Amino acid sequence: MMYAYITRRLLMLIPVLFGVSIFIFVMMRVVPGDVAMTILGTDATPESLAQLRKEFGLNLPLHQQYLNWMGGVLSGDFGESMRSGQAVLPDILSRFTITFELTLLSALISWIIAIPMGIIAAIRHNTKTDFSVRMVSLLGVSVPNFAMATVLILVLALFFSYSPPVGYIGFFEDPLRNLQILILPSLVLGTGMAGAVMRMTRSSVLEILRQDFIRTIRAKGARERVIIFDHALRNAMIPILTIIGMQVGTLLGGAVIIEQIFSLPGLGQLVLTAITQRDFTVVQGSVLFIAFVFVMINLLVDVLYSYLDPRINYK
Amino acid sequence: MNSILEIKNLSIDLVDGRKTYPVVNDINLSIKKKQRYGIVGESGSGKSLTSLAIMNLLADSLKITRGSIVLDGKHELTKMKKKELRKVRGHDISMIFQEPMTALDPLYPIEHQILEVLRFHFTFSKKQMRDMAVEMLKKVGISRPEQIMKNYPHQLSGGMRQRVMIAMALICSPKLLIADEPTTALDVTIQAQILDLMNELTEDFDTSILMITHDLGVIVEMCERVAVMYAGEIVEETTVAKLFSNPAHPYTSGLLRSVQSLGNRTQSLYSIPGTVPTPKQQTAGCRFASRCPHVMPVCNSSPPFLEIGNDHSTKCWLYAKEGVVNA
Ligand SMILES: Nc1ncnc2c1ncn2[C@@H]1O[C@H](COP(=O)(O)OP(=O)(O)OP(=O)(O)O)[C@@H](O)[C@H]1O
Ligand code: SF4
Ligand SMILES: [Mg+2]
Repeated sequence: MMYAYITRRLLMLIPVLFGVSIFIFVMMRVVPGDVAMTILGTDATPESLAQLRKEFGLNLPLHQQYLNWMGGVLSGDFGESMRSGQAVLPDILSRFTITFELTLLSALISWIIAIPMGIIAAIRHNTKTDFSVRMVSLLGVSVPNFAMATVLILVLALFFSYSPPVGYIGFFEDPLRNLQILILPSLVLGTGMAGAVMRMTRSSVLEILRQDFIRTIRAKGARERVIIFDHALRNAMIPILTIIGMQVGTLLGGAVIIEQIFSLPGLGQLVLTAITQRDFTVVQGSVLFIAFVFVMINLLVDVLYSYLDPRINYK
Repeated sequence: MNSILEIKNLSIDLVDGRKTYPVVNDINLSIKKKQRYGIVGESGSGKSLTSLAIMNLLADSLKITRGSIVLDGKHELTKMKKKELRKVRGHDISMIFQEPMTALDPLYPIEHQILEVLRFHFTFSKKQMRDMAVEMLKKVGISRPEQIMKNYPHQLSGGMRQRVMIAMALICSPKLLIADEPTTALDVTIQAQILDLMNELTEDFDTSILMITHDLGVIVEMCERVAVMYAGEIVEETTVAKLFSNPAHPYTSGLLRSVQSLGNRTQSLYSIPGTVPTPKQQTAGCRFASRCPHVMPVCNSSPPFLEIGNDHSTKCWLYAKEGVVNA
């Protein structure tokens, strides 16, 4: 049953990704400027521009260009970068590991902060503890990531004479150094996300604690610990999971900016550079890839729902 | 002393910001061993609050301001520490609630929810507990207990869930079962089955019942003794037989009249005009005054709760000589 559902969801991926591919393909050709102009500069002759465009196949009719690109993509060949000549897909994958690690670490940090704080605020609702937790979370929600990053870097540099290491080293090469590099950007992203998760945790736990079945469990003689963790939190995880799923998009978006600030060679950086250079193949390939990741995460969230909630029955 | 539960002068206030409103006022009742005691009254009369106060399950905004609740002649429940109170809940006293739809945790199978109450109070092995649960489910009339144990609440009908609730409530053989409108949410035929079941089982388990209902029919069916509640107060207290043969309080008469008109379809339905005043609307004097056909000037002050006959008390000026009040 579950497998049938997952298969169906995967099939639904096809039209979504098809739409995304057309959208990004058209977008790249609608914005002014193209890759030939960015390579040759403003004083290039029309002849040399036309020559270069021909090399990239940009002189062909649009549908032909699209079919050429898609044909490659479907056979697993995302083409080469128009700037560096590097194969696009391997580049995307190697950079995605960085973005993925950053996103995952940020998410973990935000959950570690937000879920316990949310529970405490719910248990002590309308007390000073609750009030302070809510103030802090409001701060987390309203301070933009880049401001937070800047303040963090400045504070560390001015008061602790610490500057974060630049460059990137893979986790499996040097785990310690890898974490050292990623911890600050992850902290920034994670605390940014923590506010929303905290508020959702607080309100859902609070809401569940008011339900009849909690009274039943209390009437059975349960300890508070059992009431909170086995019942209130488990039930609250369903709405919390929703907000976590929605945050993934925000997190990926935030990663683009954070990678710039901390000069991390992640996927966000790749896309940004490729856009300014009008590197069509790289932009199209990356956006398609990100869309794929996004849809897969949504699918994962839906599968988790059915695991958490026996009432959900995917047919 | 053969009282299982003795409530004395219980008062509960609703705290709303800086203000407090009395919601339950000076309740007295005593439930004997194996007795089936009923509390009857319209919606909003404070029945549920009284029953929740017994095991200290009131919402944070509600506070017991006065009185004592004594279990078994020795345990004062209102002053009990949390840890001791946990031992009473589900073990000495258990509860069944009105809404079987929402009274079970939707995320756990029935087995977990029944075994939980055993785990809270005993240290049996998992196998022992499972056997006890199966046995108990059979007793509440569930024919395929192994199957039901694996089910989730949403897979069961309302009647089945209420049977599960009863199984859960009785599995530790409590001294007192509090049932707050246990059949109100069920179909009429299922209602009768559930009441029969409770009658039968509490007999087997030597359990007393505190039955909370707005339905006098349920009282006749189940109870030996009854307290009539109105706007947070007990207005009449006696045996069920006396209440029906010789109702004293005008409110009780009204309730009885509405039941009788329900049985006699040729008459139009009678209901007591007006509604129960909410805690915030209450004024001095008899709380039933705004709806009472016999209201008198003296009703502007609160009537005393007096014994008017053998084992029969009521709170109404009709039965009090004014001289008695201050005596
Ligand atoms: N948590 C609460 N906060 C505020 N007021 C409450 C709360 N619980 C109950 N009340 C009020 O206290 C009064 C008594 O409520 P209670 O639930 O005991 O009535 P009841 O007799 O059980 O009625 P019903 O038949 O509707 O269950 C009502 O006026 C109700 O509005
Ligand atoms: S005290 Fe007065 S108002 Fe109240 S029930 Fe008796 S007669 Fe009616
Ligand atoms: Mg009630």
